[in-house]
Amino acid sequence: MEMSEQKDGIAEVARETLEKLLGLMGVSTSVVLVSELAAEGEEGALPGLIFDIEGDDLGILIGRRGQTLACLQFMVRLIVAHRTKVWRPIVIDIGDYNRRRQEALQALAFRMAEQVKERGVPFALEPMPAADRRIIHLSLAENPDVTTQSSGEREERKVVILPQEPLD
Amino acid sequence: MKELVEFIAKSIVDAPDEVKIEEETTEEGLTLKLQVADEDKGRVIGKQGRIAEAIRTLLRVKAAKADTKVRLEII
Repeated sequence: MEMSEQKDGIAEVARETLEKLLGLMGVSTSVVLVSELAAEGEEGALPGLIFDIEGDDLGILIGRRGQTLACLQFMVRLIVAHRTKVWRPIVIDIGDYNRRRQEALQALAFRMAEQVKERGVPFALEPMPAADRRIIHLSLAENPDVTTQSSGEREERKVVILPQEPLD
Repeated sequence: MKELVEFIAKSIVDAPDEVKIEEETTEEGLTLKLQVADEDKGRVIGKQGRIAEAIRTLLRVKAAKADTKVRLEII
């Protein structure tokens, strides 16, 4: 594999890697490069790449709570970083899974925050991967009635929503 | 099965020529024994076994498609 510093080179390596993995996993799909995400904030940072997977068998690729999809994305990032020696954010989506998941998590966060506010007792959500916990934290970051924390280790790590202590 | 593990392992180690995989079939299903250079062990296992777990997760998709079970050992 030729090393490349060019951003187009990285997109190509990423696509090849993803297609190769999917082929070896025995799923018949096609990979579409959706867009090059503009990096948020940082000047001069390379834009991220978003790939979408289309085809049959998509459920098996998503896995429970999106775990298989998360592993696939992790593996592609790892291989691309090792081959190109350049780290660039790579996002892999399947159908609308990521977007729908994000909306569902946001709705859950708002619902539970409302409950915590009413009852005044903390509520722990089910364990979820880091990316999902981040969505919950961000959804409630601006909420004046509650705060969020993560607790538990590794696979058991989950978000706890706590009532905001009144300021004296 | 073997090809998937081989592709991943060779893509993330520094010494791809030292990647070896043995296959063993038992009544439980297939066991793959992955061997890499000592310096590369951390690269296929990862912090808290994260990389090994990711390889196993992807392997399970392939196994499910083939309607079989597969185990991955790193030796």
